[in-house]
Amino acid sequence: MRRIFISRGHIIGYAAFALAILVVPLFIDDPYLLNKLARYLIFGILAAALALSWGYTGILNLGQAVSFGLGSYCMAMTLKLHTIPIQTGAAGLPDFMVWNNVKSLPWFWEPFHSTAFAVVAGVAFPVVVALLLGWFVFRARVTGVYVSIITLAMLVVVNLVIVDQQRFTGGFNGLTDLADLKLFGIDFDPYSSATYYLIALSLLATLMIGELVVRSKTGLIMQAIRDDETRVRYFGYDVARYQIFAFCVSAGLSGFAGMLYAMVMAFASPTFLSVQISLSIVIWCAVGGRESLIGSALGAILVTGIQGGLSETPAFLNTWMLIMGALFVAVVLFLPKGLISIVQLGMARLAGKKISALTEDEAPLPRGHKLGIG
Amino acid sequence: MSLLELKGVEVQFSGFRALRGFDLSVAAGELRCLIGPNGAGKTTALDVICGKAQVNGGDIIFAGQNISHFEEHRIARLGIGRKFQVPSVFRELTVKENLHVAFCRRAGVFANLGISAAKANADELEKLAELVGLKESFRREAGILSHGQTQWLEIAMLVAQDAQLLLLDEPTAGMTAAETRKTAELCKQLKGRHTMLVVEHDMGFIKEIGDVISVMHQGRLLAQGTVAEIESDPEVRKAYLGSGGIRGA
Ligand SMILES: Nc1ncnc2c1ncn2[C@@H]1O[C@H](COP(=O)(O)OP(=O)(O)OP(=O)(O)O)[C@@H](O)[C@H]1O
Ligand SMILES: [Mg+2]
Repeated sequence: MRRIFISRGHIIGYAAFALAILVVPLFIDDPYLLNKLARYLIFGILAAALALSWGYTGILNLGQAVSFGLGSYCMAMTLKLHTIPIQTGAAGLPDFMVWNNVKSLPWFWEPFHSTAFAVVAGVAFPVVVALLLGWFVFRARVTGVYVSIITLAMLVVVNLVIVDQQRFTGGFNGLTDLADLKLFGIDFDPYSSATYYLIALSLLATLMIGELVVRSKTGLIMQAIRDDETRVRYFGYDVARYQIFAFCVSAGLSGFAGMLYAMVMAFASPTFLSVQISLSIVIWCAVGGRESLIGSALGAILVTGIQGGLSETPAFLNTWMLIMGALFVAVVLFLPKGLISIVQLGMARLAGKKISALTEDEAPLPRGHKLGIG
Repeated sequence: MSLLELKGVEVQFSGFRALRGFDLSVAAGELRCLIGPNGAGKTTALDVICGKAQVNGGDIIFAGQNISHFEEHRIARLGIGRKFQVPSVFRELTVKENLHVAFCRRAGVFANLGISAAKANADELEKLAELVGLKESFRREAGILSHGQTQWLEIAMLVAQDAQLLLLDEPTAGMTAAETRKTAELCKQLKGRHTMLVVEHDMGFIKEIGDVISVMHQGRLLAQGTVAEIESDPEVRKAYLGSGGIRGA
């Protein structure tokens, strides 16, 4: 009984969320605001991706910005090659290469003339990087905080390499002055509602993929690994494979988010691969509820939304960081499962009333709440 | 022919020899009890069989295969299940989910992607929960179970795993007399369907369920036989000296 109510509640929750983000453009005619909201939704994708690895599998990946950044550069490279005034050099070189005395387009830039290649690479490249790193880390049975340290170190290294290889990556400035993405005859202007819808649908697709994973037996085993990694082995599962899988799916989704981000920002820069972004994702998940995909996504939208609102309100110009910090601390202290646990509790309460009216079934208990309800 | 055979197995923990040429042979379908004073190496013996402890010498043969250097999950997949001395279940998952994880028919990541966590095998799992008296707690988190219930859940998980050989480390530890009786019942039910190797201290329990008893002392096999034979064995009496005799161990 309980399962039916919970999953029905789940479906209603998702439907309401989908409706909410899809009708937004109808009420907004400020392109600047729409662009900003699109960015928040991208952060939602990132948070949902971290929920998969951290919330469900117990892998606190502090290098998620690597996947995000690599995805954004893949997109930015193809968009750069599609700008008209790149022909400042002899062979149609991007402007920054001309300034850096690069004579011809490097081999790894060549395939990015193809948008299709870039879109595939934006997901595949982060996945391959995650696969390699994951293989070494999880085969060697590195666990807990050491995984976080290694992924963080990885982030710093990749960031340094990108900044250092200015001739090919644009260094500190990154890749700027990008063209709009043109796909299926649609021009995805960063300020258009077409771009917003693409991103909203991407977020919904991400959540759908994530739900399919976590509701499968693979997802169940991921949660068992989060709970007690060694115990899982004695039931016959190769734990490292499951960890690598979660790590890679998370990386692929983050890479995809990076591509979208390069589109809406119309540039890609090393700031996308910053420790700050990585840590922000952790905060979004913690606030929203890391053991819930939609909770994490809402956490990201909420936190970045409030942040954006406060930082642009003159009254809070000096104090908004303090307010955000206080919100974070309060949620972590009082709602260890994030804001979404309030919603889940309410839903279980409703379901509980209905159940006790129908049968003498046990009172439904949402995860992590040991109090009897109903 | 024996299902499980340990030949001169050595295990060292930073120089300390926890197993010193340990020999053991268990036939298919048998329920073997393993006893010995504290620190005799009983847990280590189970650890080395299921791959938790590293073999430093000797061989472990299971169903004709030398598994001495296999990884844990491969050993498990060959048909060896383990219950730990400290009950070890997934506390944040429900009883049902615990059983479902243990119910490992296909181990691959992609094979399991197609299986629903909520719906697959639900009836079978519920029957298992019923077997160990956890039907009421089927949808509750394992973390809220009592100590005895947790022990039973772990045993049910081994049954779900459908392991050919069950390694049970002190399944009645911390149980009341009534709970111990229930556990003995459970072991009898499993007897025959699974080969079992049970580490126990409770002689009453052993008399109830066991056929042949192996006694360990200081990392070696000291004696083997029926309860009567063991109790009258002078070597065994000596080994238990100072720990209050075999009954008090
Ligand atoms: N991981 C370890 N590192 C170092 N020494 C260990 C380790 N595990 C066990 N030992 C030692 O090996 C010896 C055998 O331990 P084991 O746990 O196998 O005994 P046991 O027969 O199960 O005892 P008990 O009846 O108390 O459970 C003990 O002296 C113990 O201190
Ligand atoms: Mg022991």
